[in-house]
Amino acid sequence: MKRTVGEMLVRSGIRLPLILWSLAVLYPIFWMFLGSFKTNAEIYANPWGIPESFSFQNFVSAWTDYSLDSSIFNSLIVTVVGAILCLVLAIPTAYALERVRFKGSHLLFTLYISAMMIPMVLGWIPLFFLLAQFNLLDNIFGLSIVYAISQLPFTIFVLTSFMGTIPKSLEESAAMDGMSPYGILWKIVAPLTTSGIMTVTIMNAIQFWNEYFMALIFLQSEGNYTLALAIDFISNEAQYTNAWGVLFASLVIAIVPVIILYSIFQRRIAQGMTEGALKG
Amino acid sequence: MVQTKKQKYLFLAFCLIPTFIMFSIFTLYPLFSGLYYSFFEWSGASNTREFVGFENYVKLFTDDIIPATIWHDYFLVVTKVIGIMIMALFIAVALTQLKIKEAPFYRIIFFFPNIMSVVVIGILWMFIYNPSLGLVNSGLEAIGLEEWTRPWLGDEKWALPSLVLPSIWAGIGLFMLLLMGGISNISKSNYEAARIDGASEWQQFWHITLPLIWPQIKISILYIVITTLNGSFIIVQVMTGGGPNNATHVMGSYLYQQAFTQYNFGYGATIGVMILVLSLITVLLLQFLLRREKVEY
Repeated sequence: MKRTVGEMLVRSGIRLPLILWSLAVLYPIFWMFLGSFKTNAEIYANPWGIPESFSFQNFVSAWTDYSLDSSIFNSLIVTVVGAILCLVLAIPTAYALERVRFKGSHLLFTLYISAMMIPMVLGWIPLFFLLAQFNLLDNIFGLSIVYAISQLPFTIFVLTSFMGTIPKSLEESAAMDGMSPYGILWKIVAPLTTSGIMTVTIMNAIQFWNEYFMALIFLQSEGNYTLALAIDFISNEAQYTNAWGVLFASLVIAIVPVIILYSIFQRRIAQGMTEGALKG
Repeated sequence: MVQTKKQKYLFLAFCLIPTFIMFSIFTLYPLFSGLYYSFFEWSGASNTREFVGFENYVKLFTDDIIPATIWHDYFLVVTKVIGIMIMALFIAVALTQLKIKEAPFYRIIFFFPNIMSVVVIGILWMFIYNPSLGLVNSGLEAIGLEEWTRPWLGDEKWALPSLVLPSIWAGIGLFMLLLMGGISNISKSNYEAARIDGASEWQQFWHITLPLIWPQIKISILYIVITTLNGSFIIVQVMTGGGPNNATHVMGSYLYQQAFTQYNFGYGATIGVMILVLSLITVLLLQFLLRREKVEY
């Protein structure tokens, strides 16, 4: 097909906003990386340009002066423990809801799903005192549990839809061979759901790694800060100390794992999020 | 399957009960308990909890800041819905209908902010709005609009509108994908038939694309509304903390301030009940308003 001049104009007219928006997305992120290599003096003199020399001083300083190492460690623990706990709790329930016929299964499923739409902020006040009673307040394992439960409805939802695609005949023939339902769940269904388990776990992990507000409420001492809290702390302090370079370095540290996960699992993440929204 | 009733129920119990207990303790109990707390005055220490009936609710209706926080929340809801839907729709149509070679590149870039931490987004944008170093003011100066420069987040009038752009920036990607999914499900024959009838690209958009992706549009709007009402306070907390002079407080950030910095836990819970009620009403109302006959060609 031959293109008319008018069509070409329309095409480039449509490209322009796309290119502009790409710049709007990429430039701040790119610039954050550049800023992390600049000295404070340079950030003031030349805030939006290329650094004159690349120095890792900000990263060293974030590590030593702001003990970002312990925050990274805390974030890792919360992410890993939260994601595993969430799976352990969600897989059996998702299987029972999807494959075992029982009275009230529909009601239970609806209960879990509607919890995705309820604003949890009301619950955080009692949860604060509940955690205090269990000695889990200001405790990264307490926070991991809260995280795991907060993503439970979403995880159950995604896993049931993945389990729905496994042919029933596989389970039936395993049962014929005398396998117990527990064996079927862990040795047949769970491995066949690997794709769903991975999708949901990557998304939960990103969620937990990024989370800020629950950490703000349920953690108190600096030693227990997750990365998001530590960054918020450095940011508030930078208003007075102007330690912008260190702040950028800590932002870079927070975002690099997400970029890496995204570049590997881009399709999975996009698919998981759209599916969650379609039902939510 | 070869198994007795008893075995089946044991297995069900194994699958469901531990999870449900955890869910009850950490989600259901706190929600109901929050409702109960709203009838008490409580500073957190256990011996001072005092039943006050509806006093907190009376306070809620007489508190001057509350109407402002509600207005701020709905301001964000409306501006975000309009901004995100227009841009996401434009991008989705451009990336699916016009054969742009680098479409996957745009898709990947535009979606990325959706998985960035709110802390990172908030701090990045605090810099963009920074009065002396920021991109916005430097840009305005560069094109000679110096009188437009202002301390965006420190200005009572401009602080709240300034929060809209980061929220749109961070939100577009997901809805772009949702709408793209809808558009790619539309059968090509619809467009071919329209073209034969001489319909322009605009007419095709209004009479084919839009009605056929109405379900996705409806879900997107609902999702933006729910996530904004349930979560707008996070970006507020990071970027302004509700200031300057309460000009950006939304319901959730006001709850946080009342409960966790001023230790009025009873009143905080009352604000929480208000958030719950308002967001439920809004969602029901929206579902009613957006209902529309399903279109099939």
